[in-house]
Amino acid sequence: MSAIGQPISRTDGSLKVTGRARYTGDIRVSGAVHAALVQSTIASGRIASIDTSAAEEAGVLGVFSYRNLPRMNPTPKPWSHLHPHGQGYLPLQDDKIHYAGQPIAMVVASKLDQAVQAATLIKVHYEVAQPVVFDADTTRAAIDPPQFLWPVASSVGDADKGIAAAAVKIAETYATPDRHHNQMEPHATTAMWDADGSLTLYDTTQHLYGARELIAMVLGIPVDKITIMCEFLGGGFGGKAYVWPHTLLAILAAKAVRRPVRLQLTRAQMYSMVGHQAATIQTIALGADNGGKLTGIRHESISPAPVFDNYIEYAALSSRSLWAASGGIATNHKIVHVNRNTPTAMRSPHEALGHFALESAMDELAYATGIDPIELRLVNDTATDPHSGRPFSTRAMRKCLIEGAARFGWESRSPTPRSMREGRHLISEGTAAEIYTHWRWPAKARVTINGDGSALVETGSHDLGTGTYTVMRQVAADTLGVAPEKVTVRLGDTRLPPSHASIGSATMANAGASVLLAAESARDKAIRLALTGRDAPFTRGQGADIRVAEGTLTLAHSNVSISYGDLLARNGLPNLVAEADYDPVPEHEGPKAIFSFSAVFAEVRVDPELGIVRLNRFVGAYDAGRIINPKTARSQAIGGIIWGVGQVLLEQSETDPTLGRFLNRNYSGYLVPTNADIPELDILFVGDFDEEASPLGAKGLGELTAVSVAPAIANAVFHATGKRIRRLPISLEKLM
Amino acid sequence: MINFQYARAVSVSEAVRLMAGTPGAKFIAGGTNLVDLMKMDVERPTALIDVSRLPLDTVEETPGGGLHIGALVRNSDLAYHPLVERRYPVLSSALLAGASQQLRNMASIGGNLLQRTRCAYFYDVATPCNKREAGSGCSALGGLNRMNAILGTSDNCIAVHPSDMCVALAALEAKVHVTGTRGERVIAFADFHRLPEAEPQRDNNLAADELVTGIELPQRGFETHYSYLKIRDRSSYAFALVSVAVCLELGGGRIREARLALGGVAHKPWRDAGAEAALSGQSANEATFMRAAALVLSKAKGFGHNTFKIDLARRAVVRALSQAAGGTPQSQSNKKIA
Ligand SMILES: Cc1cc2nc3c(=O)[nH]c(=O)nc-3n(C[C@H](O)[C@H](O)[C@H](O)COP(=O)(O)OP(=O)(O)OC[C@H]3O[C@@H](n4cnc5c(N)ncnc54)[C@H](O)[C@@H]3O)c2cc1C
Ligand code: SF4
Repeated sequence: MSAIGQPISRTDGSLKVTGRARYTGDIRVSGAVHAALVQSTIASGRIASIDTSAAEEAGVLGVFSYRNLPRMNPTPKPWSHLHPHGQGYLPLQDDKIHYAGQPIAMVVASKLDQAVQAATLIKVHYEVAQPVVFDADTTRAAIDPPQFLWPVASSVGDADKGIAAAAVKIAETYATPDRHHNQMEPHATTAMWDADGSLTLYDTTQHLYGARELIAMVLGIPVDKITIMCEFLGGGFGGKAYVWPHTLLAILAAKAVRRPVRLQLTRAQMYSMVGHQAATIQTIALGADNGGKLTGIRHESISPAPVFDNYIEYAALSSRSLWAASGGIATNHKIVHVNRNTPTAMRSPHEALGHFALESAMDELAYATGIDPIELRLVNDTATDPHSGRPFSTRAMRKCLIEGAARFGWESRSPTPRSMREGRHLISEGTAAEIYTHWRWPAKARVTINGDGSALVETGSHDLGTGTYTVMRQVAADTLGVAPEKVTVRLGDTRLPPSHASIGSATMANAGASVLLAAESARDKAIRLALTGRDAPFTRGQGADIRVAEGTLTLAHSNVSISYGDLLARNGLPNLVAEADYDPVPEHEGPKAIFSFSAVFAEVRVDPELGIVRLNRFVGAYDAGRIINPKTARSQAIGGIIWGVGQVLLEQSETDPTLGRFLNRNYSGYLVPTNADIPELDILFVGDFDEEASPLGAKGLGELTAVSVAPAIANAVFHATGKRIRRLPISLEKLM
Repeated sequence: MINFQYARAVSVSEAVRLMAGTPGAKFIAGGTNLVDLMKMDVERPTALIDVSRLPLDTVEETPGGGLHIGALVRNSDLAYHPLVERRYPVLSSALLAGASQQLRNMASIGGNLLQRTRCAYFYDVATPCNKREAGSGCSALGGLNRMNAILGTSDNCIAVHPSDMCVALAALEAKVHVTGTRGERVIAFADFHRLPEAEPQRDNNLAADELVTGIELPQRGFETHYSYLKIRDRSSYAFALVSVAVCLELGGGRIREARLALGGVAHKPWRDAGAEAALSGQSANEATFMRAAALVLSKAKGFGHNTFKIDLARRAVVRALSQAAGGTPQSQSNKKIA
């Protein structure tokens, strides 16, 4: 039986529930000492004076500030995934204060409590400047940023002309707030130097090799002297993809005190020491004919960036490719420099913000034209990417809409707002569709077939809690023709064959492809050996007829067979090793446009007097290509939907308008959904094998599932109340 | 967090003696509030006097037909205590509306009474806050104040007392038993917590050396017509935007007696004698409820982000009264608000 496609439980499940899985901050390194940080209490200005004497006298190993921390090299430009810094402004290098919570001093002591206590003894005087925050006033000073990930602006056809001539027009502004990842596992680094100048790091990272490159460049260490390990990650969501200041600080501290140094961020520090999702203010203009066919789309977004970086939330990205518009499509992004730390990718960056605006606007168009929201989307479906003009590799949008709607029971919906009731409550239904970027990145892997018939997969990929260990085992097991239990997977170590960042939902399709190719290569080596090796059981010319199953090579239509173990023994080999170098053409250069798709359906219950919105049920239909493991895929979908419920109803990192600091820096102030907020979630996978996306046929899934939730629920809220909420989150005062 | 001394008291008298002799010390019970605040450097006690093993963990019937609840009874044990469930269901309900199961398993009754405000500025030592540092100013007044008070505020502080349990205790007219170096005293619930006035740093009228030893419930528990309605941003595990404890005695289609207490709106659980008087003798219908609700909120004042709470509180009062009058109290397991 094929392992791919089976709902296999996580291979690391029992390690995790019994506490044996080793997470970075929990790994005990003998002789390790602890670092504690002092952070700026102001958001803008400079350090006028810093008095570290009391801390130094507190029996600590070292106290660092901009006055004595060694200088680093500037972060490399332009920014690249291959050497990714989280933040371009490096810690403890000068006396400037650019954001609240900026690290300004570090204490290292034998014990954590000593370091933390001594940190409270450091006295800082500031020259305080008025911070600039992201608000209605400052957005007027938005600027055109340089390109970062994709082109900043796009224009196909003449969108404005298409809109101007349209029979029906929608023009609205939508806003999404700042949000933080709030991974359960805090960021942590333990840094160890060897006498020969080599550096070993346990680091919470989604990008081992990128981290290694960046650290090498910024700290001037040869790349081959750096080893980074991260066996398990307790949630990444993009927030652990790049190198943040605490990692650099831990490395320099370890060098200075000549001891391994552990630095783990506190929950509150996770709001300013690492990235967050930047707020957006988006304007959308749609034009359509009376039949709902789009004649033009214009989508523009403004987001905040720090004074020293040009991070862009590409919120208008999705409008480039989701729907066809006969006249044209134009998008643009601007940023405002404010006093804050650098935002970063957060599940699902760009798309989850843009779709809230675009798919809310589509719902507004459905009401304006009187066309059913599903029908409206079917009318504007397209087989060609409007942005690049390339055909989509696969696009099961129709299937998502039609099969999802059938499962949900959409046809019994009464379209009039406030028309469905249950006691005091209004019941309502909303939908939204989605397109999600697919990445093609290079990855390497090594597969070893052992003499006992077991196999080892090695690749420098990551398990963020997503099930990478499990799905890689399935891929290798099927390809080698062995039972999944025979396969061991090793991830999370730069000494393994290099892989790409585990971001952008790219791991299954790309790291997975490298495992597939390495396993194929190992299997083919075995077949060649069985054809040409010592006492070969098969003869030349029979290669194409050899099958592998249950660890045994068998010639079709015969009873001639040999197990991997016997084959290796016969040839006096301890094992067979094969490596693969998956090096695909980047997605934007291929002949086809590759994206994932979804259509989702939400039923909500609104208490119109109290303004309370609760999700009643939810159906998600996803085209993520071939599904390798329906169980881990479903888990991703559930997590994504809940993530989206948080986005639309609860999450918001609030900045004090005068102090310029994030205020609600803990799980009690930053609300995410609880179990009681989540009903039964019904997940459908409707995609097919996509050979352009990956040799495995899989497309990106993890982030896909978090995207269309917000507009679907916001659209349902409109259906319930007749109120269109264009500023997230939909907190109850907006509906009272 | 700064270093501190630690001592475990074995008797009430020892606890009080240790406290009186250790300037800057604090009692610690479940630690679910105090330890968080110490980690944030908001509380910087010189010493912790651990009272968690004191023999104050029983629930006993009093000669007067009420209940005496030891200060160290766990929140969850009290919520599920058969006598409380049967005779004081509004208290059980309020306890279950608070925090999470894990926290309720740790949290003591005394600690719940003395838990500190959740005003975000109070928690952030980099910001001015009169409650944390007298005279430094109130950042919430002109800042983010969605969770802050609308009743009984002062120019110095607009914080709310975050407890759910205390709202029910206010409605039930409990009494607080305390012991200090000068002996024992009993404080009426309404006199226990304070309004901020000019001294927001003081949450209550407990003297520095006094230990809460228990809570006394009077005989009347309003077990037929009650409700504890908590309005919050998510279905569970969130502090109240507004909460309402209602206890009614009905007879002949009329309200004989009404008790109404609000949480999430003021520096203490909020009672309004005028509104309660306006309910008594009236028939239990929507118009009556709306009149009472309007009275409770007539002096309410919003500060921008929290102004909606005036309307929300009014509507919540009406809803809670109708739940109580109808004998359909808010369920804390099925979170749906009918
Ligand atoms: C994430 C989170 C969510 C929460 N949500 C809610 C909620 O929704 N509703 C709600 O009501 N509460 C909520 N709480 C608060 C919780 O109820 C309190 O933390 C708890 O009741 C405190 O009890 P404790 O025994 O742990 O107190 P401790 O933390 O030990 O002490 C708290 C304070 O009381 C003092 N103290 C303790 N016992 C005595 C005594 N016998 N005499 C004198 N002083 C004493 C201490 O010195 C300290 O100042 C939440 C807490 C957390 C952490
Ligand atoms: S409301 Fe009270 S607790 Fe909050 S900032 Fe003002 S003084 Fe401090």
